[in-house]
Amino acid sequence: MRQLSSTDRVGLSWRTEIAASILQHLDRIDVVELIAEDYFEAPLRRVRALATLAAQVPLVVHGIGLGLSSASPVSEPHLERLARFVNRVRPESWSEHLAFVRAGTIELEHLAAPPRSAATIAGTLANLRRVRAIVGTLPALENVASLLDPPGSEYDEASWVSAIAVGSDASLLLDLHNLYVNAQNFGFGAAEYLHSVPVERVSVVHLAGGTWLETNDLGQRRRLRLDDHLHAVPNAVYSLLEDVAFRAPQALTVILERDGRYPPFSELLAELTLAREALSRGRARRAQAQVRDAS
Amino acid sequence: MRVEGTGAARLEAFLARLYVDSAARAEFLGDRARAVSAAGLTEAECLAVVRLDAGALELAAQSFTHKHLLAQRRRAQRALSDRWLWFRRALSWLRGA
Repeated sequence: MRQLSSTDRVGLSWRTEIAASILQHLDRIDVVELIAEDYFEAPLRRVRALATLAAQVPLVVHGIGLGLSSASPVSEPHLERLARFVNRVRPESWSEHLAFVRAGTIELEHLAAPPRSAATIAGTLANLRRVRAIVGTLPALENVASLLDPPGSEYDEASWVSAIAVGSDASLLLDLHNLYVNAQNFGFGAAEYLHSVPVERVSVVHLAGGTWLETNDLGQRRRLRLDDHLHAVPNAVYSLLEDVAFRAPQALTVILERDGRYPPFSELLAELTLAREALSRGRARRAQAQVRDAS
Repeated sequence: MRVEGTGAARLEAFLARLYVDSAARAEFLGDRARAVSAAGLTEAECLAVVRLDAGALELAAQSFTHKHLLAQRRRAQRALSDRWLWFRRALSWLRGA
């Protein structure tokens, strides 16, 4: 892995649809995040081309298909491919989700929140030991969004995530929209969550948008929040970013995720500016608090 | 609904099937107690699963279906783009030869 940055940075996830615009605006983008699985079947030439990109902007790698948080072992072939990609690209850091993506012969092709139990903590820690042995480094661990509170859960989300982070000695990728979604859907306080997880372990932050869905269960109407990466980042998420910047002593890498319905690129750049402003507000509050504490 | 695995893996497999298999979901929503007892879950797991919010489960299933289709489309787009890259390289090699 390359040397990590000592200052806060703001960047975007790399998508083919906005690649040209990203390259045109690298003066306003500090870091780019690549999805590892996008390159698993790519010709070697396309993977080698990433060296050209890496020469222009720092890269971080994001995995979406390992399925770390499961009572079952991660897929060995998937892990081998991920290790090859990470070791070829040599990003500053890489990350994966605290989710399961397959069970037996069923491939979900998406992230599912596992039951938060002692068994899934033990399974995740065992998987992380396999990952470290094959890849050579640990990923930053990302909290996932869910429409359903996983049945069979024995822990609240903050305690479950903390137990895995501390037990594995891994850093965290805090997805603030995922946190906002789960807080809304399951009725806990996002700010309290930030007090419960080891914020000093957060190395990367994800920002994204989503939408509200309506459900009607036995005549009871309920609004649920979906993390779809198709909408602008809501203001509540920028407020959470300010809180993280206030609480975290370390530098943060903030990545804006957008997976479709791309607006004019100027709107994505405006979202990056809002993220920088939230970071600045949080850092200023932190500096003031430190002065207050010293006097 | 029978599922693979043992212990906690069995619960994950049960949930995964509910998310992606509409027939299994209909069977579960039609008679929850029967579906969970047939799956071989523990008593505590059965109690937790029968309380699942049907509306949220349907929305989650729709989301999984949508993401599955999206993943397939992305794979197809990448394969097409890689084939196009290969074709252009072959063409430029032939022109140079």
